[in-house]
Amino acid sequence: MQQFMGYRRANGDVGARNHLLILSGTVYANGVVERVAEAIHGAVPITHANGRCQVAPDLRVTRRFLAGTAMNPNVGAVVIIDHFKEAGMTAEDLANDIAPTGKPVATVNIRGEGGYINALAKSTRYAQDFARQISRLQREPAPMSKILFGTECGTSDTTSGLASNPANGLAGELLIAQGGRMLMAECTEWMGCENWLTDKAASPEVAAAIIAGVQHMEARALASGEDIRGSQPTGDNMAGGLTTIEEKSMGAVKKIGDSPIIEHLEVAAAPTQTTPGNYVMYGPGMGAESISSMAAAGCQVLTFCTGGGHTSNHPIMPTIKVTGNRNSYELMRDTVDIDVSGVFTGELTLAEAGQIIYDEMARVCSGYLTKSEALRDNNSFAIHRVGPSI
Amino acid sequence: MKTVFVVYADDNVGTAVLQPIQTGDSVATNGERSDIQLTARADIAYGHKIALLDIAAGATVRKYGLSIGSATRDIRAGDHVHAHNVESNRGRGDLAER
Repeated sequence: MQQFMGYRRANGDVGARNHLLILSGTVYANGVVERVAEAIHGAVPITHANGRCQVAPDLRVTRRFLAGTAMNPNVGAVVIIDHFKEAGMTAEDLANDIAPTGKPVATVNIRGEGGYINALAKSTRYAQDFARQISRLQREPAPMSKILFGTECGTSDTTSGLASNPANGLAGELLIAQGGRMLMAECTEWMGCENWLTDKAASPEVAAAIIAGVQHMEARALASGEDIRGSQPTGDNMAGGLTTIEEKSMGAVKKIGDSPIIEHLEVAAAPTQTTPGNYVMYGPGMGAESISSMAAAGCQVLTFCTGGGHTSNHPIMPTIKVTGNRNSYELMRDTVDIDVSGVFTGELTLAEAGQIIYDEMARVCSGYLTKSEALRDNNSFAIHRVGPSI
Repeated sequence: MKTVFVVYADDNVGTAVLQPIQTGDSVATNGERSDIQLTARADIAYGHKIALLDIAAGATVRKYGLSIGSATRDIRAGDHVHAHNVESNRGRGDLAER
């Protein structure tokens, strides 16, 4: 059984990182959150535009994104800062969601503390204590079966479906053989490939959920009254040679291999099963929302396959960029980690490319920094909206 | 001689993932079939597709052995295949009943 070196949590999870999270409960706490994170060694801020004037189903999804991010095994401790007591999503509600993980959590309410300056002081003290507390944790050997391996593709071109994505699917198979799980979201990009996915479904219920998810997303596109072209495929997809959403989908679904699909998840929901295999999640093709939904589901690491070369990086989930387009690798060498374009020239077989991706993923789980992590280019936290602001 | 990649044996398009192709270039295939030789009738940018066979207007354009859409006009072997002569059959809000 292969192992990695990770941070063992009270609930048995194992993290690939040991982040102190400074979490904003509402847009109006973002300023305090950023100041605290600047002040404290190793602190990572999570800010966003949500938490006010959302309809209830939308607010529930926001809560799942925020609590799930804090519950991710890569997070060692959390300071939550809010302002208004938004019914259904106060800092205390979020802290209650996180509590079963057993990790240290503190809440600060700006109004409750008598304003910005007091809240900043109190939050900074909590963060200082937590930063020192979690700094005592040491990495320990843990089985690779503890890894929930997220996968995404973005700025796809025709090389994606022929090299980086199928190689990535083989990397996922290597993890699943070790007892691990792989998660794929972006159900927009299953459109046209539903049968390819339902053939892998472990049960009729999973197959039905896959079909229903795609239909729901397609209905969203139809309701716009516009042709989905231009947004799916995107302009950069089309410049890269992808003609239709069907063609994009066929490449996109190759990110997972041939193992059964064990469970279909709602956006940003954690798997309820530990059976090794593939897991799929309802959600949009929008990269930042999609990878944030997978971080909220508990993925400790993610591969981001890209044709055109991407900068995407999640603040707490190491994001390994993989391309099959040598031109993009040369252009974006400082943010793209792996080049598998050798698949086209005969320098690499797909199996060899899959092993390269797996090995890099395993190293990153043990602490090796991705290129974007080293740059602290934490650009890709975003929350999927399922309702309008009211 | 330039080369395009064919994913499934019954695909009617190939992808220029090794190098771009210029009008008039001789083109061979690799991947799942290597028996086709044709002459490019248009410039094919890196990553773009070329028709391996004639495809009639309305016929299915196949890659990965599956439909990636329908031809919107007659396409001849060697033509560039992209949004100017192929349309999607999914997510078409512009065609939906309002």
